[in-house]
Amino acid sequence: MMRYSDIKREAGFVFGHRQIKLTLLVVFLLSSMSLWSGYSEMQEQQATIERLLDKDETERNAVLTHQSNYGMVAYYAFHLTYAPPSPLAFAAVGERDVFPWKHRIRMLALEGQIYESDTDNPELAFLGRFDFAFVTSVLLPLFIILLLYDLKAKEREARRFDLLNVTARNSHAIWSSRVLVTLVPLALVTLIPFIAFSVVNGASVFQTVTVCTIVIGSIIVWSAIVLAIGAAKRFANFSATHLASIMLGVWLVTTVIVPVTGHTIINASVDTPEGGDIVLTQREAVNSAWDKPVEQTWEAFIETHPQWADKTDFDPQRDSSFNWKWYYAFQQVGDQSAKELSEAYQAATLRKDKIASYVALLSPSLLTQRLLTSAADTDVKAMVNYENNVREFHASLRKFYYHHLFEAPEFSSASFKQLPQFSPKIRKTQENTNED
Amino acid sequence: MILNVAKIICAEQWRYWMRTKVAATVLLLGAMLTIAALVVNAFHVDEAAHTRDHLQTEAEQRFEAQPDKHPHRMVHYGHYVFRAPTPLSVIEPGVDTYTGNAIFLEGHRQNSAMFAEQRQSAGLTRFSSLTPSFLALVLAPLFIILIGYGSVSREREAGTLTLLLSQGTTRWQLLLGKLLALMTASSLFLLPLLLACLYVAFSNESALVVILFCLSYVVYFLLWATVVTACSAIFEKSSVSFTVLVVIWMSACVLLPRLGSSVATNIAPSIGKVEADFKVEEKLRSLGDGHDVNDPAFKKLKEDLLAKYNVDSVDDLPVNFRGIVAQYSEGRQAKVLNEFAETRMTEELDQAQIARQFGWLSPTVAVRSISTILAGTSLETHHRFLREAETLRLEFVQALNKVHAEKLDYKLDMNRNASEEAADKAVVGADNWAILAEFDFKPEAGSTRISNALIYFIQLLLWMGLTALLLQAAVRRLNP
Repeated sequence: MMRYSDIKREAGFVFGHRQIKLTLLVVFLLSSMSLWSGYSEMQEQQATIERLLDKDETERNAVLTHQSNYGMVAYYAFHLTYAPPSPLAFAAVGERDVFPWKHRIRMLALEGQIYESDTDNPELAFLGRFDFAFVTSVLLPLFIILLLYDLKAKEREARRFDLLNVTARNSHAIWSSRVLVTLVPLALVTLIPFIAFSVVNGASVFQTVTVCTIVIGSIIVWSAIVLAIGAAKRFANFSATHLASIMLGVWLVTTVIVPVTGHTIINASVDTPEGGDIVLTQREAVNSAWDKPVEQTWEAFIETHPQWADKTDFDPQRDSSFNWKWYYAFQQVGDQSAKELSEAYQAATLRKDKIASYVALLSPSLLTQRLLTSAADTDVKAMVNYENNVREFHASLRKFYYHHLFEAPEFSSASFKQLPQFSPKIRKTQENTNED
Repeated sequence: MILNVAKIICAEQWRYWMRTKVAATVLLLGAMLTIAALVVNAFHVDEAAHTRDHLQTEAEQRFEAQPDKHPHRMVHYGHYVFRAPTPLSVIEPGVDTYTGNAIFLEGHRQNSAMFAEQRQSAGLTRFSSLTPSFLALVLAPLFIILIGYGSVSREREAGTLTLLLSQGTTRWQLLLGKLLALMTASSLFLLPLLLACLYVAFSNESALVVILFCLSYVVYFLLWATVVTACSAIFEKSSVSFTVLVVIWMSACVLLPRLGSSVATNIAPSIGKVEADFKVEEKLRSLGDGHDVNDPAFKKLKEDLLAKYNVDSVDDLPVNFRGIVAQYSEGRQAKVLNEFAETRMTEELDQAQIARQFGWLSPTVAVRSISTILAGTSLETHHRFLREAETLRLEFVQALNKVHAEKLDYKLDMNRNASEEAADKAVVGADNWAILAEFDFKPEAGSTRISNALIYFIQLLLWMGLTALLLQAAVRRLNP
């Protein structure tokens, strides 16, 4: 049984220690710095999106006023699609520096456009981001080891160990309360800056609590590991630093070796189509259409769009010199021919992510990182979702233009009021991001 | 004399390591990891080299196997280039997995590289990666700390330090012996890496580059071994030296490189390609649409051409005016595109250089810069790839435009949309497609890479100086 008086005594002791105070200060600074850096990066991304939206609209309106048939508009009008940073993205930048979060697309074959990447500076991505997820998943365990490894040894060396055990009402309670008064401040200095930033950034209470739970869970797991090693009978006669080496070994194995081994195994076991093949297939299909009899393109197109079967005729008067219907039909056929590969590619990405989620069960750090990016909607799943949003949007563009190309109404700029507008899908927050 | 005693001390230290399990485990684990990383990476690089080489040949063959066509259609058909990995990327893959390795080249556009491998890694390798360079730069120092933090303080705590010093061993001899022991131990991680370098040196990589590459790793290991030995001597207790060393490791190897990246993003945010594209388009619009010969932007071109051949209408020109316009506008467009591309690359390089300035604060960052630059896996080499791809793009597009201007009759060309037969006539023979220059990407010449890395060598020299001073201070302060 821990008593208030024990806790008070230990608190006084812990805060009298310069090394502990210093560690807490450093953790506080690191946490604040990482949050500030993530916050300002996300602010910049948000501002970029706003600027782009503005320019995108102007540009498209210019196209609309200059062109006078649907085929030309579809060819020249680009549409901005984007995945805005979620209110928690500042805490876990996640995959946003490797996967694209903005694309400008048009009616041409999508497979030729969707792999274009407007990602960050590769060298900075390679060095990695200093974000809150990194601080809590990689650095925090190290701080926990540093704070707790010599919990008892320090007292033994100072020859106070027996004295402490004797003077405490309950020898067990004294160590528990000492652990508690070390860890609670640690959690506080990590989380208080986070809570402040998440209030500023308008994250919901649920989201904030989720992240706090994940971080606290990770602190508990790591403390348990450290304390278990410290208390293990096998290591009873090891020196404190000897024990710390073992703790660092556990950190090393779980944080470094498990993920890289997992990565190597996953890469070897999950078959992924060569990305280059997708675009090559698509390009072959699109370009060979020019040399093939027109009927072949129509056949493949009508298979997926039977509603336009009677409207494939080409009216030279109306369409002046060029049949846009056929042009967009072979763009569609190009996508169709690469569909299988492209779906397999995405499925492989998701499958690897799925297996990685099992690998994460062996590594508290990886698990923390994955839970945080999942809570912040910056994980692989979120990025693939964005890709699918773009695909859906492209499909709706096609629907709009096919109608106007095949039904062939008179060109009117008023009809563009119905032009589909991209709107990012914000994921509902009530998903399973339970802690470890 | 000094060396003999140092050797004895070194041997003594080894005997201690062999007795204790922790040191032996650490050494074994480190050596195994390094070898595993080398093997896995070597296979991966070898496979990537073959695949990309294969894809490159295939892309070239497909291009040349195209049937008779209108030459402008070939401009839009386009071409792919693939970037083959460099020899040293077996040890330092650098930015390779973060950049795409394929670019689609076509008329009127500069596309970005596609299919970065990192996207397929499910976030597993964002902190760590099974690459020899990560092991050597980030993990090896931790291993050196784990086996060496107590090398001197242990003697002090056991009381043997007094004994050693009173028997006539000088402080320098003692520390050199300990350093020697730590260096020989860490060579277990270093040796596989150096052997791999030696192997690479026999491939087509400049010998000087390989030597400097190895040397920077050797110096890096030496730095850590020195710091560890010095700290172990300076601090009274093993536990203090341990804590201090782990904190140094955390800041130098884990924290500062990332901090550099985040600081660079925030100090010098660069506008992305999508945003830059708007500006490019704005500027391009003022240049005229190369598909439309009647665009007013080409009036001057037309007048000059008519005057040159002394004819009254474009129909009488001995060349196809559409081809001339295409050539002219592609050239002007490429200039604009390159101007923006260069701005973007400068911005990226500026960012990278901000991040690399953290090499003054952490030797890890310094050696990482040297290692990526020398291995040809740095941002600079990636930019070189982009530039070479662009040169190839402009070359083949202009060659096609030349064919368009010289081999396709203007009237047939203007009439091409009238009917299918007319379209079939407005083509040139497939023999005209043999215009692709072979794309065989090589990183910058060794001397260029070395001069790019020069400032980071200076950073490393500074660290050597600082650690030497630290060692000296440790010798001076060494008290039993």
